[in-house]
Amino acid sequence: MISVTPKKLSEHRVKLDLNNLSPEQVALEIKNLDLYYGDKQALQNISMSIPKGQVTAFIGPSGCGKSTLLRCINRMNDLVDICKITGEINLNGDNIYDRHTDVAALRRKVGMVFQRPNPFPKSIYENVVYGLRITGVNNRRVLDEAVENALRSAALWNEVKDRLHESALGLSGGQQQRLVIARAIAIEPEVLLLDEPTSALDPISTLTIEELINDLKKQFTVVIVTHNMQQAARVSDQTAFMYMGDLIEYSDTNTLFTTPVKKKTEDYITGRYG
Amino acid sequence: MNNWFKSGSPWVWLSAGGVSISLISVLGLLGLIAWRGLSYFWPADIYQFEMTDEQGKNLTVIGEIYERESIPASQLVHLNLNIDESAETIERLLIKTGNRELVSLDFRWILVPQINNTSLPAELVVIERRTHGNFYGYIEEVILDGQAVEQNKMLQLVERVSDFQAEMEDLQKSDIGAINYQIERTRLKERKHILDNTLTTQLQQELKDKVVGLKADYSVLEEQLMALREKISRDQIIVRAMDGQKVTINFEDVLQVTFNNKLNVFEKLKMFFSQIGAFVSDDPREANTEGGVFPAIFGTVLMVLLMTVIVSPLGVVAAIYLHEYAGNNALTKLLRIAVINLAGVPSIVYGVFGLGFFVYMVGGSLDDLFYAETLPSPTFGTPGVMWSALTLAILTLPVVIVSTEEGLSRIPSAMRHGSLALGATKAETLWRIILPIASPAIMTGIILAIARAAGEVAPLMLVGVVKMAPNLPLDGNFPFLHLDRKFMHLGFHIYDVGFQSPNVEAARPLVYATALLLVSIIVALNITAVSIRNRLREKYRMLDQ
Repeated sequence: MISVTPKKLSEHRVKLDLNNLSPEQVALEIKNLDLYYGDKQALQNISMSIPKGQVTAFIGPSGCGKSTLLRCINRMNDLVDICKITGEINLNGDNIYDRHTDVAALRRKVGMVFQRPNPFPKSIYENVVYGLRITGVNNRRVLDEAVENALRSAALWNEVKDRLHESALGLSGGQQQRLVIARAIAIEPEVLLLDEPTSALDPISTLTIEELINDLKKQFTVVIVTHNMQQAARVSDQTAFMYMGDLIEYSDTNTLFTTPVKKKTEDYITGRYG
Repeated sequence: MNNWFKSGSPWVWLSAGGVSISLISVLGLLGLIAWRGLSYFWPADIYQFEMTDEQGKNLTVIGEIYERESIPASQLVHLNLNIDESAETIERLLIKTGNRELVSLDFRWILVPQINNTSLPAELVVIERRTHGNFYGYIEEVILDGQAVEQNKMLQLVERVSDFQAEMEDLQKSDIGAINYQIERTRLKERKHILDNTLTTQLQQELKDKVVGLKADYSVLEEQLMALREKISRDQIIVRAMDGQKVTINFEDVLQVTFNNKLNVFEKLKMFFSQIGAFVSDDPREANTEGGVFPAIFGTVLMVLLMTVIVSPLGVVAAIYLHEYAGNNALTKLLRIAVINLAGVPSIVYGVFGLGFFVYMVGGSLDDLFYAETLPSPTFGTPGVMWSALTLAILTLPVVIVSTEEGLSRIPSAMRHGSLALGATKAETLWRIILPIASPAIMTGIILAIARAAGEVAPLMLVGVVKMAPNLPLDGNFPFLHLDRKFMHLGFHIYDVGFQSPNVEAARPLVYATALLLVSIIVALNITAVSIRNRLREKYRMLDQ
């Protein structure tokens, strides 16, 4: 059935019933989400629950809305003027699209890593503590500790510990992407959104990041968008397949890749289009 | 041929030619200014010409050769010169003869064919004086304390006198100036209390006592000054001019005595640099045609710095609003076009605006509100350095806004998104990420603003520049920086010396020297700004994406 035989990174996958998760198991609940760019509808009535402490992948062909959906979770779509959203996304039971939501606070709870590494033109140290400084932490000891923890979690500590105060732009692309991940987890978010985090990287860096994702789910709920099906199969516990703004199929990764229910999913994962 | 066009080399030639032309014109301009300006400081040889004039009279002319010129011989036929018939042109020399108290013009043309003998007598002396310009002649006698002394003591004497002069200047400017300032302030304080109806007899007495005390100090200092003056006035120097007249010059008047013809190259070089030093550090004399330009340098730099301090935050804030906060609609576009067009408004229009708005409206209101006691003489309601800086700030605002906006739009959105995704608000993102990255572009705007403002003269003539400012805008009297004062400016100085001067020939080299100085100052300011920008660029270097 499946055309690829991915190396399994997640050895002990717990199979969850995605339609009947208990409230403690849910990190994010998306309900009837519609999204319009001007007159064009980009997401249609998306409803899904993303479980806590697991890696959820969004896959689908280009333009299917997977990145758009990801950006809804930390309200990055607010930056697009013509974007209009209806429906809700609940984080810990609170609708993040409520009028009273503090967007900055939300983004501290839902961290995000972008497609291309985007370190600030500052030192490695300053990049990692940026989010903490924003929240007003200035105690040197606290910051030092946070830098070490974040860089260790992002598997970058050993490579940069001797040059923390050098420019982050001197790092390689893969290191920069891990630095950006370290920057995101330094403020200890609950959810970490990864928007095609390896698409600009070479295969070895990709592998490092994938291993890292597997470690990260011990601490955070991870949502990853990828156009690479092998990657989804390797790193994720749940996979959602999207097509033309619709959520076609959402189930645990093994099931989706081995016994997809929908014809469209099967066509996509067997490479008939996309 | 066709291939040659296709190869692109015509474009290389064309563009390289364009660069060469610009380079040659810039270097030519700078070279001309530098040559003409710097040669003014080089100690010239003093010639003595024995000549016979048209009427057959013999006379002696002493002075520096200022200029050589060839004129058609036909113009001089009526003079019956004893010259070769075939000569088409005759050379004539412009001689700076100095001695302004003896002759009405200190420059004269002489015709080369009339010269019988030219010599460079070593004993010829140039005496630089405070008034009446240079004196050229021979020293007859040196008188110290009313008694004739040996001539070789003279240089020692000049030094002694210049020490006294420095002391006197110090007394006059800082000590006596400070007392005058105090007295004036006390008077204003009293008047303020009268206006506020809070003057008690006790207070009045106090103020009166203070003035009496200050006046006592004043008379003590004045006596000191008189004593010094008296000391100097007994030293004299008697010199013989070219026509044999003997002239007595008080040492009080003497700045420098040099035997130019005796100097070797190194001594000349030393003098050259000391003359440049004097030019940049002295006050002007004789209606700005002599002496230095220090107040003008000071005024220019102070005004430009003030302007920078005003325009940078204003321009940056405006650009941030236009680029980050204003909606991307027709009104914003209109505003942007308006800002760009503002850069094309003639500068004199800004001057008129500054005079009407800043000086009369804002300054007048400030006077009514805070300086009522000095009225009817205005404090801020009159042109001054602050209004000049503000006017030029408005003038250069578009430059800063445009280049800051350009810098803001060059920042990749990934930077903003990265910061926002970490829970920073828009303001925090701006402050911590965007502005630092945009700072080289902001510096570019500031550099352009400085370059434009430092060279601007027209608006300043309306809002604060004067030919001669008695005080610098910065001195030792509280509040030290006097933004209400008028100031001198190098650009205006060039105009004033070159075109408003009573002594055109004397002023000409000064125009070049001042122009050279103005260019050097602008270049120095720019180099400082550029090096700051380069450091910022290095610091916030972006990924090559």
